[in-house]
Amino acid sequence: MKILSFTFILCLIASISFGQAEPKKKYKPKRTDQYIHMKGIRFGMDVTRPFQDLWTKGNRYGNEFSADMEIWPNLFPVFETGYEVFKIKTSYVDYSSNGSYSRIGIDYNLLQAHTEKDKDVFFIGLRYGFTVANQQVNNYTIGSYWGQQEGSFGNQSYFAHWSEIVFGIKGQLFNNFYMGWTIRGKMKLSKIGLEFPPIYFIPGYGKAEKGFNLDFTYSVYYNIPWDFRKSAGKKKPEVRKGIKVQKK
Amino acid sequence: MLIVTTACKEVFEAPPQALMLATFYNSTTKSVLSPVVTVLGVGRDSLLADQQTTPNVLLPLTLLDTTRYIIWLDSKADSITFVHQTIQKYASVETGFYYEYKLLSVRFTNTRIDSLIIVDSLVTIKWNENIKLYIHPLPDSVN
Repeated sequence: MKILSFTFILCLIASISFGQAEPKKKYKPKRTDQYIHMKGIRFGMDVTRPFQDLWTKGNRYGNEFSADMEIWPNLFPVFETGYEVFKIKTSYVDYSSNGSYSRIGIDYNLLQAHTEKDKDVFFIGLRYGFTVANQQVNNYTIGSYWGQQEGSFGNQSYFAHWSEIVFGIKGQLFNNFYMGWTIRGKMKLSKIGLEFPPIYFIPGYGKAEKGFNLDFTYSVYYNIPWDFRKSAGKKKPEVRKGIKVQKK
Repeated sequence: MLIVTTACKEVFEAPPQALMLATFYNSTTKSVLSPVVTVLGVGRDSLLADQQTTPNVLLPLTLLDTTRYIIWLDSKADSITFVHQTIQKYASVETGFYYEYKLLSVRFTNTRIDSLIIVDSLVTIKWNENIKLYIHPLPDSVN
């Protein structure tokens, strides 16, 4: 009984002292690279899009291009656009879908640069994507005791849009040439246009029946080192060893 | 090489079929009967069922509004006409499409068939009893 009381008191003291403990202050050091790392516009091409049928069902391929620039320190507005085709042909159905898509969004660089020459980025970002596409069922076959019946559905247009949360890296290989990957979590917002047959494939998004799609892209980039700020005649912050100095 | 080629070849399932399930009952005792059944779709050359001793039969319907069968029950022929709606359905991008049906009415001759009840008017890919066919027992029947 004594042991039990002792244990209870000990627990009580421990819980009181835990409750009274001063909360640890989270100290987040200020970034020292609040300056523009990358001048000009960076254009990219996704090298994985033409070879998607290697890891997806059916025959899926396309092209995707991107453009981004560092408008504010560590913030990169992004525009991506592409075209995708999906085809599948089995003994029972011949389906194809194609369309162009675009995404707009922004990336935030989490990686802190130590020098001005350090241009690698590890980013998280958001995208809004949309497509106008069309699909065709070129032929379908239904067999039964009463014979084989064939049919088709002509060109059907539809619209779809989705949002994406992305993260990835872009590393500078050599002067103005970059390479990097992006992991994309895509959440469907809606699809409009078809009652029957249902939309199977959304260019830029993937399988329409899924509310969430995971995707991977790998791109090469070239940064056109055109300093638009200088061209616009704006005041340009001077950087000395990672410290911003405003000219008077 | 052959093994690799075979392994890589994708095999897709055929579209599902909606079939109407008809079960035979003794019109007197209301118990299930197993007559010798032969079924021919009107307009077809081949038999759907040939001399099968069975308590039920699965009948595919046509894409038209009506489907007509000649059915021999222990060698006595009757004709049955089903009037139905046809509804196209989507299975998947690999298997494509199939049809489901809604039975509207049934007409039949009374050689061996006594009466008929539609239990479930929806003919879907989940096969269940759609009609009960009450047939006259044979004079020397032990069913």
